Amino acid sequence: MMIRTSGQPSKLGLHLTRTFIYVLLVILLLMTIVPIWMLIVNATRSTTEIQQGISFWPSTHLVENYRFLGSRGINLFKGFSNSMYVSITTTLITVYFSFLTAYALVVYEFKGKKFFNNFIIVLVLIPAQLSIIGFYQYMSRLGLTDNYASLILPTIANAAGVFFGKQYFESMLIQDLIDAARIDGAGELGIFHKIMMPLAIPGAATFGIFAFVFAWNNFFNAFILISSFDKYTLPMLVQTLRGDVYRTEYGAIYVGLAVSIVPILIVYALFSRYIVSGIAMGAVRE
Amino acid sequence: MRLLKLRRNHYGYVFITPFIIAFLVFGLYPIYNTFALSFTNTTLMNASSAEFVGLENFKRLFADDFFMKGITNTWLLWLLNFTPQIGIALLLSAWFTNARLKIKAVGLWRALFYLPNLLMPATIAALFFSLFQFYGPANQAIVQLGFVDEAVHFLQNVSVARILVIFIQWWMWFGQTVIIIMAGIAAIPVHLYEAAMVDGATGPQMFRRITLPLLKPILIYVFVTSLVGGMQMFDIPFLLTDQRGGPSSSIMTNNILMYMKFSSSKGHIGAASSVGVLVFIMTTICALGIFYVLRERRAPTQRRQEEKVLDPVQAQMAKLKAQE
Repeated sequence: MMIRTSGQPSKLGLHLTRTFIYVLLVILLLMTIVPIWMLIVNATRSTTEIQQGISFWPSTHLVENYRFLGSRGINLFKGFSNSMYVSITTTLITVYFSFLTAYALVVYEFKGKKFFNNFIIVLVLIPAQLSIIGFYQYMSRLGLTDNYASLILPTIANAAGVFFGKQYFESMLIQDLIDAARIDGAGELGIFHKIMMPLAIPGAATFGIFAFVFAWNNFFNAFILISSFDKYTLPMLVQTLRGDVYRTEYGAIYVGLAVSIVPILIVYALFSRYIVSGIAMGAVRE
Repeated sequence: MRLLKLRRNHYGYVFITPFIIAFLVFGLYPIYNTFALSFTNTTLMNASSAEFVGLENFKRLFADDFFMKGITNTWLLWLLNFTPQIGIALLLSAWFTNARLKIKAVGLWRALFYLPNLLMPATIAALFFSLFQFYGPANQAIVQLGFVDEAVHFLQNVSVARILVIFIQWWMWFGQTVIIIMAGIAAIPVHLYEAAMVDGATGPQMFRRITLPLLKPILIYVFVTSLVGGMQMFDIPFLLTDQRGGPSSSIMTNNILMYMKFSSSKGHIGAASSVGVLVFIMTTICALGIFYVLRERRAPTQRRQEEKVLDPVQAQMAKLKAQE
């Protein structure tokens, strides 16, 4: 069969196009990687070295830089464990309740289900951060400001999580399993906890990574709601690093910044495949 | 049996109850409270003696150039990062999925481009602040290479500050947009392309006539979610310069203005709420409006939708052939 080739690029043209694309990709890659690499490298260099010029090779002053921050009252370890506590609790809570809600929407037929489904989509599009002032004043009336509960509890109602969970449960063939478990006399909550949730672990883990990263990176809410220094999460410490005291101690600043992103880099190196496919999963349907 | 099924379906309500309670308590009530506060002169000091002042806060906002500046800045910063973001993402997606080009290691490129999106925005802002400050590496580089004689006060320049915010936002989001668009392209039936290739269509032609029209729902999703995020832009412009959106309020966004009113010496939470309320209304109307107006109703069956699309494609192909 002859396929007409007029209007299609010639061999040479294709070759040139490909070269052009690779050059562009490399430029984009350098733009992506160089700032991050410089951050990590500078965390290991002394302030003098940093002032002398740019280098892409690590030096030996990491520990020294870290100690300097400690001597100025910035306890990175404390900030790190605060962030870990908030992020892990948030992740567990938001994944559990999102999947519980999603499961109900996939498995049961009830009045108002359609409305609730549409409502979830609307919620994803609502700019919730703009109600932070009302949220703050309300929390302070309840005595919950400067308390991690004000960061953690709202994530029980996570519309994006329900959306994700729904996609996941819909992609699993579950009705037979549920029927079998019911015949064996299992209760509805039991079925969810003992059968469905364990089966949904790959999906829950994928969404969990997103929930974790989001909680880990969340600056705005913590910045408004948390006030005592020993409760500061990492993004808040990062913000104080910019204060005048540290402005001339570049090495120390870079260490503080590096601590906030290295855990994420490690998570990404391990799970990038799931993360990338997870983004697609949340978006494709609608 | 029917009764049993009915009783079972009641669990639907049981299972969604925690979500609904949490939404009412932590989602809906704070929105109501923000609206309610915006009609009062509440400050952090006078919580008990606050008074209802009607539309006073809103009148003051509209009379204040600062507010309009915040709105303009936010739209400007969002539009100027979204346009190149969607442009580059479409281009990369088209290349990555082009069977003739056979770009290698697509998964790896994609994963690396997405990386900045996962990093803490506070850290990224602080990083770019360090890179572009007077004694920072950017100045070192241009002085050492002989582009300029003296270091430049990058962050005191209105245009540079804006360009940096736009660049950072673009940098953080184009990778994610590539992933979403590629997932959308992967969902397009292959036989459409096969048919077009048999008819002698070129890569760009297929992209314009098949890929783009079928990507519409995905593009709307990207557009609307980016808009909602963009209207709430805070971390990057707040932490890049003086925490007031300087120089000359050039990167002062809606949320920065809201925060500044909140954190003013008296803590004008009534006035801060009114900023939140107006931006909330503006964003919600734009987002939901665009979403529901532009969104194609999904055809009842995939098959029917394919046929509907196939026809215009074939019509186009015939037209192109006739032109040659």
